[in-house]
Amino acid sequence: MYVDVIMEALKDHFGADKTFTPATHFLDHLDGDEIDIVEVTVKVSEKLEITIPEEECFDIGTVGDLIAVVGKHVNV
Amino acid sequence: MFSSIRIALFLVVLAGAGGGFWYVKTLQADLATAKENILKLNDAVSEQKAVIEQQAADFEAITAIRDDLEDTNRMLETANKNLNEKFNKLNASGERRDIGALSTTRPKSIERILNKDEVNERRCFEIIQGAELTEEELNATKKSQINTVCPELANPNYVPY
Repeated sequence: MYVDVIMEALKDHFGADKTFTPATHFLDHLDGDEIDIVEVTVKVSEKLEITIPEEECFDIGTVGDLIAVVGKHVNV
Repeated sequence: MFSSIRIALFLVVLAGAGGGFWYVKTLQADLATAKENILKLNDAVSEQKAVIEQQAADFEAITAIRDDLEDTNRMLETANKNLNEKFNKLNASGERRDIGALSTTRPKSIERILNKDEVNERRCFEIIQGAELTEEELNATKKSQINTVCPELANPNYVPY
């Protein structure tokens, strides 16, 4: 399932000790920056072999936002 | 005989009066010179006071400029550190961020982020030059709300993790 792929990418990127919920904010809760969001999106896209237009990622702030954007491009 | 003595006494009295008159005149001239000298000295003291006041004002101005330069320097050091971290950050798996590769695969995203940094940097210079902080800047307490280039200047209520 694509959500598991996202969670795996998040753990790889931010650490398995972190808690990831849809409300988890990349900057406020994970001390990340906007480039972290781009990196995770690229990793998830590669693993799921999907293409996500860049413009759709501009407003990603939380894990929930990422799941929603990725969800639009995967064949469930 | 008496008339000679009278004449001699008269001459002595006349000489005394003349000497006294000359003495008083000389004293008056000396006093006038002394007054002039005092006026000149007062002028010189006033000029020196003005010079000292100007030097104090110059010193304050130089100190203010030096403080501004120190603020600018600190801001640039922070900006440099932040940029260095942004371009070379390690993730939890120990992989170093490859900004060049990301710029190729996601050019619009990276350009947007760098443009935002540039706007933040300009704002930092405005603050250093005396611009008032906005309500938004003052109320920022989360990382997503701050100016990441100079949070210590722009967001006094933000406490880093």
